[in-house]
Amino acid sequence: MKCEISLEKLKQAVTLTEKTAGKKTSLPVLSCILIEINKKTAIFKSTNLDVGIEVEIPVKTNEEGIFAVPAHTLSLFLSQVENREQIVSLDSVSGNLNIVVGKSKGVIKTLPPEDFPAIPVVTDGQTAEIPTDKLVKGLKAVGYSAAVSNVKPELGSIYIYHEADTTVLAATDSFRLAEKKIILPKTAVFEDLLIPFKNSLEIARVLESVGANALMKANKNLVSFEVGGVRITSRIINGVFPDYKQIIPKSFLTEAVVLKQDLINALKVGTVFSDSFNQVRLSIDPKKKVFAIDTKNADVGENHSEIDAAITGEEVEVSFNAKYISDSFQSIEADSLSLQFNGRNKPMVIRPVSGDQTFMYLVMPMNR
Amino acid sequence: MNDFSKMWQTALIEIETAVSQANFSTWFKETAIIKEQDGTVYLGVPNSFTQEWLQKKFHNAILRILRQMDERVRALEYVITKEEAGNPQAKKVSAPTPTMAIPLQDFYISKEDNLNPRYTFETFIVGPFNELAHAASQTVVKTPGQTYNPLFIYGETGRGKTHLIQAVGNRIKALYPNKKVFYLTSERFGNELLTALQEGKAQQFKDKYRGYDVLIMDDVQFFSGKEKFQEEFFHLFNLFRDSGRQLVFSSDKHPNTLPGLEERLRGRFNAGMVLDIPEPDHESRMYIVRAKCAAYNITLSPEAVDFISSAIKDNIREIEGVVNIIACQSQFKSRELNLNEIRNILKNNTKPKKLLSVKEVVKVVSDFYNLSEDTIYNKTRRKEVVRPRQVVMYLLREDFNVSFPSIGEKLGGRDHTTVIHSYNKVKEEIKEDTLLSQEINQIRSML
Repeated sequence: MKCEISLEKLKQAVTLTEKTAGKKTSLPVLSCILIEINKKTAIFKSTNLDVGIEVEIPVKTNEEGIFAVPAHTLSLFLSQVENREQIVSLDSVSGNLNIVVGKSKGVIKTLPPEDFPAIPVVTDGQTAEIPTDKLVKGLKAVGYSAAVSNVKPELGSIYIYHEADTTVLAATDSFRLAEKKIILPKTAVFEDLLIPFKNSLEIARVLESVGANALMKANKNLVSFEVGGVRITSRIINGVFPDYKQIIPKSFLTEAVVLKQDLINALKVGTVFSDSFNQVRLSIDPKKKVFAIDTKNADVGENHSEIDAAITGEEVEVSFNAKYISDSFQSIEADSLSLQFNGRNKPMVIRPVSGDQTFMYLVMPMNR
Repeated sequence: MNDFSKMWQTALIEIETAVSQANFSTWFKETAIIKEQDGTVYLGVPNSFTQEWLQKKFHNAILRILRQMDERVRALEYVITKEEAGNPQAKKVSAPTPTMAIPLQDFYISKEDNLNPRYTFETFIVGPFNELAHAASQTVVKTPGQTYNPLFIYGETGRGKTHLIQAVGNRIKALYPNKKVFYLTSERFGNELLTALQEGKAQQFKDKYRGYDVLIMDDVQFFSGKEKFQEEFFHLFNLFRDSGRQLVFSSDKHPNTLPGLEERLRGRFNAGMVLDIPEPDHESRMYIVRAKCAAYNITLSPEAVDFISSAIKDNIREIEGVVNIIACQSQFKSRELNLNEIRNILKNNTKPKKLLSVKEVVKVVSDFYNLSEDTIYNKTRRKEVVRPRQVVMYLLREDFNVSFPSIGEKLGGRDHTTVIHSYNKVKEEIKEDTLLSQEINQIRSML
């Protein structure tokens, strides 16, 4: 096997595939990138058996071949070599991969490629063309609310479905829930999907770096996105996402509109003194026009902050995990937030105050 | 089943010796034989990656080993088994957070059957007004497809029709895991049919519905005047009835008074058991108010319960709404609400009565009976005019509280005693004449 390849393209292919390659796997070949050199192209593949990535780039081939090279070593080597050279030559010699970049030559030990699993291809099922930027934005806006544990696979997933003309993404770990609506073109209609949260990170990472429109294919078990020589294939969850709409309060007793930055600052100060559960108490008094944030830790001390707020409705006092509140800020671009309450022991709803009504976040209170 | 697992265990021992340890633990750890049918063994695998790899690399080897153990084995298929609920002990370490959890378990509406798990018989309040419907539903659950097929429940909105028919579905699902239950509204049926026709997938549509054992359809009144839907549904209906599969329907009216319904469909709805959920009686309403209060953990004075149940007569959903608001407010004020406050809540939250002129009532009634409006005002005593005229008087008095003399005056200068006589006559007759009472209810819904 022998070929020449553009350094920039090689780096891109390795960066895309390296992260997905398994770290500690029972099958050593899974921590490798499989490189298939064909007549005019090279295909880079990696998989952790949950997600698989394939990247195809053009090469000048002298001799075809296939080998599995440890992802970490290859990536580290490429990140350190000088960038001046345009062309890299790859050559496999008796179980080693020789990479020549200008004056630097690396010899990397490879593994037998036969054990590298085939990445499944979605051949049946539905297809749709999807603008990647919108999908990535949607995935990122809700992903952090998905459950970390996989006790309930559907809660560890991002739920994507259509509602009238909008596409809705939702995730919840049952303590908070995030919902983001995106508008996709008419061609991007597909049936409901449950994408595992961890895989959604990979999908977002890959799609973000390739841009443009992706061709999505999905069947009962898999979803794949193809764009410009890159294909990412992920397992999807075959389950039911709870009909969470019923949980979202339709009205509220108290509303406070605050500046996002004010709330961020007050929560940051507050968490210095919060207990191990990050407990913050929000007290809202419409008569005195006070929005107060209190934290208390028996071992450390306590904090009381007040922030400016436009308050309507009834007086309320309720406690939350500060982290659950501040998580939502990354999804809100507006400067001000609306916090809606329905009294003690009832969830709080956070929405951006602006033309953007596509994001909704619900946090459950703490039991006191 | 036991045989399979033994068979697979033996096969695995053989496979283990043939492949490397790393390969074995990666690919074979979570596999199992699911079933065997006509010589085909179905092997359950955890995901598509495993499926792909086993098929590509080990297919022949596995098949050979299985065949050595049992020569009837001819083929091997892979099935992706549903996500196991993870490894519970592995991930239970996260700190117990005192944050309350969203009661998500109540909100899993399975796509397979569309049923809401919250609608069960356990939460269905039975009173004298709905005990017949409840009993019939229980019979359907005991002998699906046999005794009352179809079961047709009708009644006005907010009387618990949806709750009852979904409870039937949930119970059948629990009792007979093999039966495929499906719940939907007739509107959704229509929409799906439309999409299927547009996309040329009519056959898939038919196959989908033919695959169910119990079909529960809510709000069939949406079929009114939609002939294509009715036709498609008619065939489905026959198929279900003929093969002894259960059908359950709800509607806001009796099949006989549903407008725009084909005669043959009307007849078929009537062929099973048609039951009404009428207006709940006072005691039942009081019981419902108390049950809802208990659910919200609030207590109301007997006077308040009595007041709510006499103020909202026909709609249980409205009762729920009001109790919900009371619960919210009393929680906020951390005390029980007094009668006056409750009265205010009711005033603000119940549907205001629509205001209609006498002329409009006359128009609706005369249209209903296919008469010209003038005849109602005329002096004629033809039988076909007298009855509608009496109905107008009855409605004006009963629903709109118009005084007897002014009704007489508005309807062509009649004496108020005539009006009183007509009013009483209709009032007495609807007690016995169900056709008349249905007519009047239908007119009411048109007002």
